[in-house]
Amino acid sequence: MICLGFALPVHAAPPVDFTNDIIPLISRLGCNASACHGKAEGQNGFKLSVFAHDPEGDFRALTRESRGRRISPTAPADSLLLRKISGAIGHGGGVRAPKNSRAYSLFLRWIKDGTPYEIGGRPALTRIRLEPSRQTAALNVSQPLKVMAEFSDNTRRDVTWLSIFHSNDTNMAEVDEKGIVTIGNSVGQTSVMARYQGKVATFQAIVPRPGPGVAYPNLPNHNFIDPIVDSHLKRLNIIPSLLSDDATFLRRVYLDIAGRLPTANESETFLSNNTPDKRSGLVEALLETPEFADYWALKWADLLRVDRLKLGHEDAYRYYKWIHESLSKNKPLDRLAHELLTAEGPLTEQPAGFFYRAANNTGDMAAMVSQVFLGVRITCAECHQHPYDRWTQQDYHAMRGFFQQVTTKNSAVGLALLAEGNPTIKHPRTGAVIRPYPLGESMPEKSPQGDRRHALANWMIHPENPYFARNLANRLWAHFLGKGLITPIDDLRETNPPSNPELLDALAASLVKNNYDLKKMIRTITHSRTYQLSSKPNATNLSDEQNFSRALFRRLPAEVLMDAVCDVTGVDEKFDGVPRGYRAVQLWDSQVQHYFLKLFGRPARATVCECERVTGASMGQALHLMNSPNIQTKLAHEGGRIKRLTFKHEDDADIVRQLYLSTFSRPPSRDEMNTGLQYLGSRRFQRRRAAEDLAWSLMNSLEFIFNH
Amino acid sequence: MAIRNFCDYWARRDFLRVGAAGAFGLNLSISRLLEAAAKGEVDPSKSDISFIFIFLKGGLSTIDTFDMKPDAPSEIRGPFNPIRSNVPGLHVGEHIPETAKVMDKFSLVRSFTHSNAGHGPADHYMFTGFHPVSGFNGGLKPNNQHPSMGSVIAHKLGPRGPIPPYVCLPNMHNSGSSAYLGAKAAPFTIEADPSSPGFAVPDLQPPLSVDAVRVLDRRGLLEEVDRFQKSAEAKANQGTRELGVFAQRATELMTSKAAKEAFDIHKESPKLRDAYGRTTLGQSCLMARRLVEAGVRCVTVDHSNWDTHFHNFRVLKEDLLPKFDMAIPTFFRDMEDRGLLKKTVVVLTGEFGRTPKINAKAGRDHWSRSFTVAIGGGGIQGGRVIGKSDKWAMDPAENPYGPEDLCATVYHLLGINPRSEMHTPEGRPVMLTNNGRIIKELL
Repeated sequence: MICLGFALPVHAAPPVDFTNDIIPLISRLGCNASACHGKAEGQNGFKLSVFAHDPEGDFRALTRESRGRRISPTAPADSLLLRKISGAIGHGGGVRAPKNSRAYSLFLRWIKDGTPYEIGGRPALTRIRLEPSRQTAALNVSQPLKVMAEFSDNTRRDVTWLSIFHSNDTNMAEVDEKGIVTIGNSVGQTSVMARYQGKVATFQAIVPRPGPGVAYPNLPNHNFIDPIVDSHLKRLNIIPSLLSDDATFLRRVYLDIAGRLPTANESETFLSNNTPDKRSGLVEALLETPEFADYWALKWADLLRVDRLKLGHEDAYRYYKWIHESLSKNKPLDRLAHELLTAEGPLTEQPAGFFYRAANNTGDMAAMVSQVFLGVRITCAECHQHPYDRWTQQDYHAMRGFFQQVTTKNSAVGLALLAEGNPTIKHPRTGAVIRPYPLGESMPEKSPQGDRRHALANWMIHPENPYFARNLANRLWAHFLGKGLITPIDDLRETNPPSNPELLDALAASLVKNNYDLKKMIRTITHSRTYQLSSKPNATNLSDEQNFSRALFRRLPAEVLMDAVCDVTGVDEKFDGVPRGYRAVQLWDSQVQHYFLKLFGRPARATVCECERVTGASMGQALHLMNSPNIQTKLAHEGGRIKRLTFKHEDDADIVRQLYLSTFSRPPSRDEMNTGLQYLGSRRFQRRRAAEDLAWSLMNSLEFIFNH
Repeated sequence: MAIRNFCDYWARRDFLRVGAAGAFGLNLSISRLLEAAAKGEVDPSKSDISFIFIFLKGGLSTIDTFDMKPDAPSEIRGPFNPIRSNVPGLHVGEHIPETAKVMDKFSLVRSFTHSNAGHGPADHYMFTGFHPVSGFNGGLKPNNQHPSMGSVIAHKLGPRGPIPPYVCLPNMHNSGSSAYLGAKAAPFTIEADPSSPGFAVPDLQPPLSVDAVRVLDRRGLLEEVDRFQKSAEAKANQGTRELGVFAQRATELMTSKAAKEAFDIHKESPKLRDAYGRTTLGQSCLMARRLVEAGVRCVTVDHSNWDTHFHNFRVLKEDLLPKFDMAIPTFFRDMEDRGLLKKTVVVLTGEFGRTPKINAKAGRDHWSRSFTVAIGGGGIQGGRVIGKSDKWAMDPAENPYGPEDLCATVYHLLGINPRSEMHTPEGRPVMLTNNGRIIKELL
């Protein structure tokens, strides 16, 4: 329960005006929804601005348009507005406010008062609060929320009936229009937001697993991550799964760091190694492999939109090379971001500047920078107040303002990027001048001098920046654990709180402390017990996919899966436009035509959203893995691995073992060995074909397709 | 937000949660339908209606076929003459004489119009009902900023049995995909021409080198080695549950004789195949019929190349229209004979029409301001002419309709409320149609 330290006087409702009272009312009643009068051409001749982004226009529409017939000053109760909303006459939107209801009375009072637009001197709304703001709740219980508005004169008012509620996850909690929250059937943490007059507030519910409290085991802490996760799980009455075995860890960490499966030999070496810190040793070794840079360059090339169709062949390659080099040098991520943001000069020499060429316009630049580096999505605010966040149109255009100077010129060494002039931006509706300022800051008296992007970049990488480190920490966490602390991972906002805020803060602090060293951060995360947990659930965490109490299954990304198929079969894939021997993970161009890669969800890089990479399943994928002639060709290839295995090994057990090691990165269990031996043994005269069949079966297993 | 939105006549509610934890299973389609029906988003009484979209890429010259202007000056009317059709008073171009005999089976919207005469964006507009916005790149495959009609149908209604809900023939059109609706609503693509002698659907059958015994052996072995398939950990993870469902559906498809046969065009009688014409268009239309018959909800036929900038009349007369005039009338008759036409909405259109004024190369260029869309079956009255173009087919003369309205009409006929609200993965609400109106005169 929230507890205010001091009591604020609760006032009687002040006089009624349009901006303070009627706007929230028409928003709350849904009149200006995008499906009703808020849509582009209005509804039935009456148009309101969506999310009330244009209050003057709405006022005109209500009081003046259609010859003022919507309001009857002389006979307020006969106003068309009131007759429509109360259902006295037909209304496509149904009865919104029955006669004498609270909403009806407010409209009526406003009309009686002469429909004032704004009464001067009314205290400004400073913020809203949800009461309670955080609570532990049981499954399937309901609870009313109260929205309290606080004003500049220190008064507070209950505005619950005028607020709009939204649940972040309707599986976990539903909320009705009156603000009554009903917790669902899932354990974990969730939140509900309320919106009133452009302000938002959040209620967080922690829903522990029902039943008697389990004794939390005493577990060793590998580093600072584990106790934070433990204390969260304790609150939820969940205990984590056991530590994964070496083989699982081996496979997981190869896939996560180097984007490939370990070879059979690498697996054997690691599994037979008896040194106590061999897990950390493996991480160290993997961080130094060339595959590390390949894989992480692929990841960043997705985010930073290395798109051949947009940039052209050569430039896209230059841009990719810059990304690749930055990662192979382990360039601190704040520096990477700073270089990208402030790139200037001939693009052939400053390939980071291609970031700006990937954008369509300054709005796109602002949106890309916000989403990639701050994890904040601002595009909603281009046209109207962000409905789930505090961003206004002014905030959006202020961010755009940082990029207004960006232009290109031809130079002796080709196209050059530069920032020049002192252009101004005007609010698209009010025409007021907007000087650039970063998200969450207030408008300065003067625009930043010189290249404005430096001001933004410096703000961004400042240790106290509320977004930058948290966004990167969240992205990295999601890469290794399969789910962000905030989901979607690039949607940091007040109303989308992290599932474990203390952990996100700690990870961000660690990143800052270690100067945004990517490799250090990877060491930290992979070293934690939390990362190293088994995917095998226990009785308490069977339904938990949210709180990192066990490892989640993650489908291999398209490129990684393609390479894995090639590695297991020992037959390369030849891709268009690159020499033979290039692995899919090394492809810098996401437009290379390839059925497999497309089928398994390689992103087109049309946006900076990580959601573009499809990790979902489809029937085509299942069919392809089973029946693709290309995969069968690899299995049966004369120069392939299966043939070599059957020639090299007399003993069937060796073949089975080798196949298990190369697909599942572990030796077969006794039962599995017997199954394999029986299959091969009963097909003695077609041993090679039988080995192909076994490899086929392993590659069609969930254990192969997923990182677990 | 839980406010009841009466403009839509159902509650606005996040619909994405179907398929999330717990709800996923083989009864996905049924549970989805029930849930959607409960919300008023779909009308289950129409769940037997399917949709075939025959897209004449490049832009069919409707001024030379479905909307002749015999009284216009010769540089507009061209050399073709109108002929009578089997609908009194309705005339069509002389080079589709067979089609003229089935004009009672579908209707013409002669006042169709939209604002973009570039192939890529116009295609996207016609496939999705949404004009693309900045950042659109027509060359991308897929290029969808909004889901195609087929993806919406797949998403809203799900599959009927083992056969996929949405299939593209012979290839997926660049705008034929699912955008924010994701892989589950993406089309099942054939990527092979049904008119080629060795036509087979890729990956539907095991490779030839793997015989039937081996297929069974492999499947049996897979059951044994796939330890996660039945394990608690796989059941406790959304990703594995999902792939498990699709793997099972894929196996069902492969083992369902009916479904497999539907894809096997060689099962069709040679006589009927000849009647459709042994062309890409003809065999794709035949394939579309077979698939709908087997339970596919939406089939898209993407046929090129109708972009007759040069020698429009010669190309139409000697190449395109003869193929068209075999495929289309045979298709409509065959559909009707099998009782499929009344359960299948058929739309026949290009992304736009062609310039009324003939260019210097005896061609016609792109013209989106006015063209004709043919639409029939699935509850649509045949033989009607809706709207008209002005005297030279420059603009609609009355009752203009556009891609938004086409989509709204198709959705409505399939029982999908065209005013549904969808959500992108980013949580942004998007209307299913951009305020499309149902073309009531067709019903």
